[in-house]
Amino acid sequence: MIQVALAGNPNTGKTSLFNNLTGSYEYVGNWAGVTVEKKVGTLKQVPGLLIDLPGIYSLNPVSRDEGVATQYLLSEKFSAILNIVDASQLERNLYLTVQLLEFEKPLLIGLNMIDVARNRGIQIDYEQLSALLGVPIQPIVARTGDGCSRLPLMLQQSSEQSAVLFRLDYGSILEQGINRLTELLPTHTNLPSKRWIALQFFEENPIVTDLLSGFVNREQLLDLRQETERLVQEKTGARSLHQYIRQVRGSFISDIVKRSVRVTKQATYTMTEQVDRIVTNKFLGIPVFLLFMFLVFQFTFDWAGTPLSDLLDAFFTGPLAGFFEQMLTLAGTSGFIEALILEGILPGVGGVLVFVPQIFILFLIISFIEDSGYMARVAMVMDRMMEGVGLNGKAFIPMIIGFGCNVPGIMAARTIEQPKERLITTLLTPLMSCSARLTVYSLFAGALFQTHQALVVLSLYVIGIVVALLLAHLFSTYLFKQESSIFLVELPPYRLPQWKTLLRSTWEKGKGFIKKAGTFIFGGSVVIWLLGYTGPSGLHVDINNSFLAAIGGLIAPWLTPLGFGTWQAGAALLTGFFAKEVVVTTMNILYAPSAAETLQGAVANVYTPLQAYSFMAFLLLYVPCFATLATIRKEAASARWTWFTVGYALFIAYLVALVIYQGGRLMGFE
Amino acid sequence: MKKSLLDIPPGMKAYVSDITSVSAVLRRRLIDLGIMEGAEISIKRKLPFGGPLAVEANGQWIGIRRWEAGKIEVEV
Repeated sequence: MIQVALAGNPNTGKTSLFNNLTGSYEYVGNWAGVTVEKKVGTLKQVPGLLIDLPGIYSLNPVSRDEGVATQYLLSEKFSAILNIVDASQLERNLYLTVQLLEFEKPLLIGLNMIDVARNRGIQIDYEQLSALLGVPIQPIVARTGDGCSRLPLMLQQSSEQSAVLFRLDYGSILEQGINRLTELLPTHTNLPSKRWIALQFFEENPIVTDLLSGFVNREQLLDLRQETERLVQEKTGARSLHQYIRQVRGSFISDIVKRSVRVTKQATYTMTEQVDRIVTNKFLGIPVFLLFMFLVFQFTFDWAGTPLSDLLDAFFTGPLAGFFEQMLTLAGTSGFIEALILEGILPGVGGVLVFVPQIFILFLIISFIEDSGYMARVAMVMDRMMEGVGLNGKAFIPMIIGFGCNVPGIMAARTIEQPKERLITTLLTPLMSCSARLTVYSLFAGALFQTHQALVVLSLYVIGIVVALLLAHLFSTYLFKQESSIFLVELPPYRLPQWKTLLRSTWEKGKGFIKKAGTFIFGGSVVIWLLGYTGPSGLHVDINNSFLAAIGGLIAPWLTPLGFGTWQAGAALLTGFFAKEVVVTTMNILYAPSAAETLQGAVANVYTPLQAYSFMAFLLLYVPCFATLATIRKEAASARWTWFTVGYALFIAYLVALVIYQGGRLMGFE
Repeated sequence: MKKSLLDIPPGMKAYVSDITSVSAVLRRRLIDLGIMEGAEISIKRKLPFGGPLAVEANGQWIGIRRWEAGKIEVEV
């Protein structure tokens, strides 16, 4: 069985190729940094595994996601590397190729986006390029799958052969340094190519330096590096060793590109330039982004989502409930089972499922932003503001993804180069209003703010962003010592997303929601219903004397100043810790709608608009769900920061809800 | 006189002559992208309120901050 590592620059279509070769549906997009963790898939045509690594420019990592790739190459066993190269950015991509060749493992190049290159007038002589590099090249278009079917067999062949010897001449001084270092290395270890290790060490690759410190005295190593750097500087006039190595590789690459590529016309980016003229315009940039977000909510709520989910709601509470009732009567089940299904599971699970239309529309739009290339522009437009709070524009990308689900949002923070900014972004992404919270807003907004639904929900998203930015400022000023911040974002050319890709990534994001309805929420419904059905005095008690009422009642007094000091609200918020949708489940079971009402109608009788708004704001900000906390724990690698997140979130939620409710009352609202 | 990237008008082409004053991490990134001494560079757009610049270099577009662009020295 072969094991192939898939490596390449960011945003070159590695994941598209991965999906194509393994039949998986991993997450793809048009921005640098979509894949932040390695993923393993089974090859379709030949027995073997394919490992999708995060995009890297070089094996010498700057950010954490890049470290994942280098670490993989160093510590895992694999038989070959599939290097995906963007044909339209050949020089830059080959820089990584050279380092991979130096690694001395069998290598195969998948030359991707040959269609884009052709359109830009770049003509590549594949055979010539292959001969110059000494490795096989297969031209492909990963997005459509053209040329990809030959790759698995080629990979199998490559895996069986030994690596070609690739050797760049780095000049006598550096070569001497390389020799001296390789002599220091022990012979028996299973280290990869020693020459590669030496070169990476001279480039100041932190992972390789750490690895070497295990074998050789650190002082001795650093002395060798300094001495070599000094000699190279004297002899060649290069500014640093890193830059010198870059230059040697660079001139090798320009030479082979000159010999294998012909540019027949100057590239023009007419569409990209025109779109950019508007979306990154001096005056229009930020308004265009806000307008875009507003339209997203109009579309998700007023125009398409809510009408669809109203239809679903009517179906669940009407025909479906009636059908179940008849079936249960026919089957002659006991009253207990009938109540469990009709008053527990059906409103519990159904009440969450009715929001599938809104959630899928939101995911569709997020997929569009990701695939079109707009994401990187948003990072640009937002950078000035983010710099003001001690972050950079790239921190906005995890936040937008967090609108879908906080978990991938937090993962996306890995592409931020600066450790302090990465940690702050990780801690604050949970404040982004995710799609699970959307179900709660939909329930309340649909019931109590029928005329201004989109606006009310948008305002909650804005509260989340504003609170996150204020806290970012606070954290970066008082909690962390100021480190210099950097910002560099690649601006990929725009492309019109293909429907197939859009629908696929929407489904990939949304299926988790449906899965949760079948597992977590189903189980939650049963437990919550049972807790409401039983009490200290036995079974089938009045719900106000149930265990659930007792538990919710414990925290209800604390919630009174916020306007929702009922045991029902307390119990709902407690269950929301497991997953925010469960809040809706709990509410639906507690405020069990009578046959004539829809689920939303029942809530409207219990809450005033002000109370509902305060409740929604509290729900937005309080403790992140269990899955999110687990991700923070993993990404921040610290229990302390995880608890800190719980603490600050509860505090802020209480404060904001208090201000909203008490302030609202002062202004004369109920 | 030394010229920084900010001294040339948007759209005009220049060549990078020195990036040693750029902060270490950003310099690494620029070098990764092949934006180093000798590379052709031009400003595509400037964002408002002292915001970042869209820069074209080596046939690719990137966004960097204005004050950092000021540390990239160029020759026309």
